[in-house]
Amino acid sequence: MTASGVAGDGGPPTTTAGPQGLDELCERFAAVCESAVDPLEISSALEFDGLTDQAARRLYGLPHVFALAREMYLRVPRRPAEPAAEPDPWRSDALRPALHGLLYGLPAVCYPAAAGLLTGPHVVRTLILALLASWSLSQALAYLGYRRLGQAGPGQSAMLMQAGMAAGLAGVAVVLAIGRLFVHASPPAFVFGFGLGAYMLGATVLLVLGADHLLLVGLAPGVLGAAAFLALGRPAGLAHAAWAAMAVTPLLVAGLAMKRARREARLGGTGRLIIAAELWGMLPSAGFGLVAAGLLAFPAAAGLPGHHAANTGAVLASLPLALSMGAAEWLLVWFRRRTQHLLRQTQSVTAFAIRARLALLAALAQYLLISAALIAIAVTIAEAARLVQPLWAVLPESGAYLALGGAMFLALVLQAFGIRGLPVAACAAALAFEVLWRGLGVPGQVASSTALLGVLAGYSAVHMGSAVRHAL
Amino acid sequence: MKIAMITEGTYPHGFGGVSVWCDQLVRGLPEHAFSLVAIAGSAADQVVWPLPGNVTSLSTITLWDSAARPARGFRSALPRRVAADLIDSLLDTSAAAQDRFADVLRELFEFVRRGNRGVVLATEATVRLLTDAWAGRWRAHSVPSTHDAVTALHLLDHFLRPLSHPPAQADVAHSVANGLGVLPALAAKWRYGTPVMVTEHGVYLREQYLQNRDGPYRWPVKALHLAFMRRLCTLGYHEATAITPGNIYNRRWEELLGADPARIRTVYNGVDPAHFPALEGEPEVPTISWLGRIDPIKDLETLLRSFAIVVRELPGARLRLFGSSPPGGEAYRQRCQALAASLGIDEAATFEGRVDNVRDAYAAGNIVVLSSVSEGFPYSLIEAMTCGRACVATNVGGVTEAVGDTGIVVPPRSPAPMAQACLALLRDSELRHRLGMAARTRALENFTVDAAISAFDEIYGFLGRHRPLPVAAALAQGMPEPQPGTPLRPEDAR
Repeated sequence: MTASGVAGDGGPPTTTAGPQGLDELCERFAAVCESAVDPLEISSALEFDGLTDQAARRLYGLPHVFALAREMYLRVPRRPAEPAAEPDPWRSDALRPALHGLLYGLPAVCYPAAAGLLTGPHVVRTLILALLASWSLSQALAYLGYRRLGQAGPGQSAMLMQAGMAAGLAGVAVVLAIGRLFVHASPPAFVFGFGLGAYMLGATVLLVLGADHLLLVGLAPGVLGAAAFLALGRPAGLAHAAWAAMAVTPLLVAGLAMKRARREARLGGTGRLIIAAELWGMLPSAGFGLVAAGLLAFPAAAGLPGHHAANTGAVLASLPLALSMGAAEWLLVWFRRRTQHLLRQTQSVTAFAIRARLALLAALAQYLLISAALIAIAVTIAEAARLVQPLWAVLPESGAYLALGGAMFLALVLQAFGIRGLPVAACAAALAFEVLWRGLGVPGQVASSTALLGVLAGYSAVHMGSAVRHAL
Repeated sequence: MKIAMITEGTYPHGFGGVSVWCDQLVRGLPEHAFSLVAIAGSAADQVVWPLPGNVTSLSTITLWDSAARPARGFRSALPRRVAADLIDSLLDTSAAAQDRFADVLRELFEFVRRGNRGVVLATEATVRLLTDAWAGRWRAHSVPSTHDAVTALHLLDHFLRPLSHPPAQADVAHSVANGLGVLPALAAKWRYGTPVMVTEHGVYLREQYLQNRDGPYRWPVKALHLAFMRRLCTLGYHEATAITPGNIYNRRWEELLGADPARIRTVYNGVDPAHFPALEGEPEVPTISWLGRIDPIKDLETLLRSFAIVVRELPGARLRLFGSSPPGGEAYRQRCQALAASLGIDEAATFEGRVDNVRDAYAAGNIVVLSSVSEGFPYSLIEAMTCGRACVATNVGGVTEAVGDTGIVVPPRSPAPMAQACLALLRDSELRHRLGMAARTRALENFTVDAAISAFDEIYGFLGRHRPLPVAAALAQGMPEPQPGTPLRPEDAR
């Protein structure tokens, strides 16, 4: 061997492979040629494989790699391989949303069990105040947690949640303390209200961090204690034991949440605690939590006949609607998977819009069916326990809550697609109507809930047909 | 003079040959002020190069951050006609469509300049335009879906972001790659009449084709994406007053895409001879040295296979591999180590990791081998040559231009010829030393950093005074410009 410049391109320049060699080359580069968008793509692949202009001339009798690639592009028909299917981000088993439904619904057993504790004037007002504060703060916290999770990972999210939970607890305490200046509720009601806040905030942190099982652990003492107490017919001797068991739950949930967040935060490195955009962004969430809590609690509170007994509104709002939120979560996932599939199945935005709207209609119908069934079951049981009037008598009120549930489902869908202003505004308007025209009673409630459902349904129908919104 | 230097994914946020080159150029011309415009992936990318004093500003354009996405419908929507023209110029493969693309890009620039924050193509209306334009196409193999349309337009939105950046004010807009980097240069040209210069180390468009071969997108998205890159690169060549490839080999692509040969000047990479004095002595054991990033493009598998042949003929020979894996690229090194083990050469072939002084890597071998399947004008080769080491290198990119007749060039992906070349040099110390000396002489004559820098200084001078480049060969470069064997025809690209 000599030290000449180019030692060869694979052999002495005597043979020309000709058309046969070209066939072989096409075969070897079949995958490239079949998926090429133009001849230059094949040129790139040939050069990357080490083929030079000299080799194109000598082996294939074509002037250069580009001409060779053009010949190959003409010979091999297009038949591109489909890319590997992307992982489905909405793959989720039905179990988790169902568990969430239970987690939202289970605490409801604590209210009747705690009835003996919650006596005296202004208890309801205190509890509503606690409900409003803890819903709005936990919605804001969930927004912050999920946003940070998506943008900076679990560690950073946990760091923010840790601080956010402490701030939220302080917020609930401050709201209740200020409330106490105006309404003199008994200390147990005050403590129960704070426990509600601690539970809500802790549960939010655990759900964002994906520690559903820990939430179940935390719920166990309170729910089991309350259920046993109720099942035994509320024996007075066990009341204190039941209340103590109930007090354990918020402490345990808040404690577990703090511990979990601290552990995860240690893995997250350092970063800004909070940025201005997050603070602005959480306002619609906090607002939504506030008005949603108001819509659920106000009719129940307004319709409360006495101090001790439960009423239809409280029964409907606390248990079936809370359980139905599990179904709502599952149907949201179903809807997203469905539209992702439709984006790939349709060839025009018009076709997509029509089918996406039908999918939303189907999701809403499924939600309403499930919720109606849950309400019917709850009312039947409550009627048997002589807690409420017969079903036919509470039908209008049940319808109002069903419509409210549907509206909440649509609000959930809209929020999942980043539309957060309108659901808050519409819910706030509905709540304002109910408060201002509370004299109308159940018919007013029916009117406002149905109107809310109608507005949100119309708005969703317009915006959920957008391919861009679904694809990005 | 004030130079706007535009980079994409390299200086000052990344390591690698192009970044080394940028740093050399900026430091080598302290009399010029450089304002850097760096196109980066996200705002989280860190500046990893200390910036010299003559860098007067650094503005970073992020391509993929969601935070940088312009607000929907801000001020005014993109006129429907402009969006339709853009789509049409990308789907139409005729030569006339290139001019329409140039016009529409200019219109997009003017749209942004009129106070709109950015171009948003991923809107319902534009998606409709694209799905309408696509209707009925490619029925036989890839029916485009609504999802493809949104994805493709969303990609274009990201690619067009550099156009929305305030144009740099400078005497020369120098893009250190074709492609997206020419967008800020074109903005400066359209706004202030700044002359544009494009340097290419690799061929941007070819890299785009290679990167998207097994990419995540369906064929219609890939086709639109690559059509955009191709139109953009072609426009870059048309609009540049000077095109400076890092080797002659790249010119083929440039001329094919319509670059005026009179505007092309090859300027080779250079090294500082003070950092690479001639090496004294050689290792006792016959040793092959390799230096680089451990990456599939370097084709270490061929090197290991050829070394297995060398060891059979020359028992006791060693192969020392210097360099580390890029972040996330550990799997390739493990694959190579497994291959070495299966060839029974895992004791003789050693992965040495990163070296602080690259000269030590060249000193470690009697000869230096480059086994890459794709290169522009590799630094490791001209550094080894400057040290006076004889080289065996694969015939890719500008390698033959670098090595000339002072080393052995072998076909890529071919273990046997590479092994024969290595054995020839390892066995014949007289030949090895003669070639090593010749390599050093050649490198000192042609591939010094001073030569590269003065060539750029000269080109900046012409461009800054708005004068065309003088007739070729007047620039201080030792290499003759080649006469292409067969003229390239534009239809070869279609």
